[in-house]
Amino acid sequence: MPEQGQRQVQVTRATPIGAVPLADSIHEDTTAKWFLLSSVTYFFIVGIIALTIAAKFVWPQLLGSVAYLTYGRLRPLHVNGMLFGWLLPADLGLAYYVVPRLCGVKLWSEKLGIATAVLWNVIVLGAVYALPAGYNKGWEYAELPLPLVALVVVAWVMFGINIFATVATRKYEQMYVSLWYTLATILWTTFVYPTGNVAVLFTTGTNQANLNWMYVHNAVGLIFTPIGLAMAYYFIPKASNTPLYSHKLSMIGFWSLAFVYVWTGAHHMIHGPISQWLQTIAIAFSVMLLIPVWTVVYNFFATMKGQWHQLRDNIPLKFLMSGVVFYLLTCFQGPMHSLRSVNAIVSKTDWIPGHAHMALLGCFSFFAISGTYYVVPRMFKTKLHSDALANWTFWFFMIGGLGFFVTLWLGGFWQGWQWNNPSIPFIDTVKALKPVWTVRFFSGVLMFLGIATFLFNILATVVNSGQQTARTAPAVTA
Amino acid sequence: MLGNTDKSAIGFVIAALVFFFIGGLLTTVVPPLVDKSWSKPFENEDPSKGPTGKLRQYTELELKGRAIYVKEGCWYCHTQQTRTLLADTKRSGWKGVDSPISTPDEFVYDSPHMFGTKRTGPDLSRVGGKYDRQWHRTHFRNPRDLTPGSVMPPFPWIANDDEQFNALVAYIQTLGRAKNWRPDNDYEK
Ligand code: HEC
Ligand code: HEM
Repeated sequence: MPEQGQRQVQVTRATPIGAVPLADSIHEDTTAKWFLLSSVTYFFIVGIIALTIAAKFVWPQLLGSVAYLTYGRLRPLHVNGMLFGWLLPADLGLAYYVVPRLCGVKLWSEKLGIATAVLWNVIVLGAVYALPAGYNKGWEYAELPLPLVALVVVAWVMFGINIFATVATRKYEQMYVSLWYTLATILWTTFVYPTGNVAVLFTTGTNQANLNWMYVHNAVGLIFTPIGLAMAYYFIPKASNTPLYSHKLSMIGFWSLAFVYVWTGAHHMIHGPISQWLQTIAIAFSVMLLIPVWTVVYNFFATMKGQWHQLRDNIPLKFLMSGVVFYLLTCFQGPMHSLRSVNAIVSKTDWIPGHAHMALLGCFSFFAISGTYYVVPRMFKTKLHSDALANWTFWFFMIGGLGFFVTLWLGGFWQGWQWNNPSIPFIDTVKALKPVWTVRFFSGVLMFLGIATFLFNILATVVNSGQQTARTAPAVTA
Repeated sequence: MLGNTDKSAIGFVIAALVFFFIGGLLTTVVPPLVDKSWSKPFENEDPSKGPTGKLRQYTELELKGRAIYVKEGCWYCHTQQTRTLLADTKRSGWKGVDSPISTPDEFVYDSPHMFGTKRTGPDLSRVGGKYDRQWHRTHFRNPRDLTPGSVMPPFPWIANDDEQFNALVAYIQTLGRAKNWRPDNDYEK
């Protein structure tokens, strides 16, 4: 395949800004707007829950006499709220923006899209009621009660139809990487989500746990990873105004991810009551994950070659490239923890939330924040309310995030080390972590300020655009 | 084959699903067929093969207690698995007796499974019989009264409601008891 020719395609495809100034006006973007605005709002609301559960580690009596505010009910609200209230709908909103542009056509049905957004909001509000009330199915990431699960499936099919139909009517024959990742997310999720939420109902014990881990792992690996990478593949070239380094490399990254990821679920049960040979398979494939990760990351870094100076004041790019670094680190940790010797120390400790937040917050939420900052002014045909504030958002997230990840790794490692010495009473290992949890809480406060500035900046941009359109013609910004 | 999947959406869909199903089926559907111990309840009468005992179905009361354990999210802080690590067998054990390692056949009647992923609190796979009712009552009212420095939340609405409390304690006392692992049968009630 002639690499040069491929790159030529990308220049026009991924950067139509100057080339086709009017192209953007065919897009209505109502669906994307609804998805993004509601997800940013939930980000803020769920951020309050996040702080509350972090605070409960420092002050365990806090809100302790109120059943529906107990830790065991707010934690699933935090996890589901962040995953299905903020991150996933933000990525869906961005997909509704990106896919039509990569296909050169309008979204297949804006009406269907709006209906999907409304349904999604019903689901999130349902979860906000159900989880504190104690309706919890009992599987991690799959806590939502069955009626809400059924609605998620319906919403997913509506999303899938809209995107596939848009791709089917596309003007450009060749599909850019972001499209494959988006389409693949739709396909895989259709099987992964029901495995974790419905198939588990027909099994028990270890067999059920195995399905549950297949789901949990692939919720991250085959839902949030591909849709997140789809966005990174679109926004890195866009925000830096540079063509993607290599189309071929992106194909290698994609197909190796598609093959390797699904095998690794059992690495959550290493040393646990599950067959040794299955653990070994999961470990082997976890190590192989380095292949897709390093190809993807290399492609992004190579794209940035000669462009790094842009990081100084290009805010979407700051989020994107820090996200890429966090992706590299997370996916280096993952294969390492799956090794039996390392796993014996870090598994079940506070290291794991440190790892999980670097992936879902440090990497994929950074991509989604960046995308939102990039598209909202464009969709509303105005300028971002404040670049300086957006820069604050970045630093709040960055410093808060690092404080969160690094202290939990150190603390978690230390905790695991102590657990492996049974002469230390368990409660002493709890007390030892108290300073770590205090730092985590205050890092959480910083990140919450990041969320708050983000929400304010986005809402102010939207409000400004409303006042502006009355007076001036839309400003075309690049 | 894969070279053209960026042009043909149909080819792409087929390839993406085939890749997914190879790994997906081999790691979820096949293992329980190969490894029968995942579905055969624990039973052992021969002391030379390790602890004796038999896994039984939960009673109605225990199931009610289990539902509370699920509902209150105890499983976000407690695991139920003694792993194949020396330290785990020491920590899940008590009064000088080490815990046997957890095996899949001990969990055949568990749904939702409660293996857990995080040990903010200690592992509970062998906690059945470790403490008596009075201890649990005090502990649920305020864990710090018994264990200063604990970060376990108080559960006054359980401690003060006999129906819920009895059910939950009945469930806790079953944990790890399929294997009769205490030589002196010194379980608390
Ligand atoms: C925020 C995390 C957290 C939650 C939620 C939690 N626990 Fe705990 N639990 C702990 C910690 C920490 C300890 C160790 C200190 C202590 O004994 O209180 C503990 C100790 C225990 C012990 C004593 C274990 C032993 O071997 O000494 C039992 C039994 C227990 N918890 C049961 C429960 C039940 C039942 C629930 C749900 C109703 C629950 N816990 C919810 C953190 C938690
Ligand atoms: C204000 C920022 C945040 C704070 C203070 C925070 C705090 C916490 C806490 C205290 C836990 C429980 C950890 C434990 O069990 O020990 C947790 C779990 C979790 N959070 Fe967050 N969180 C924040 C943001 C986010 C975001 C943005 C996401 C995802 C988009 C996220 C996803 C998760 C997930 C998936 C878990 C479960 C981790 C696991 O399975 O081990 N969090 N968080």
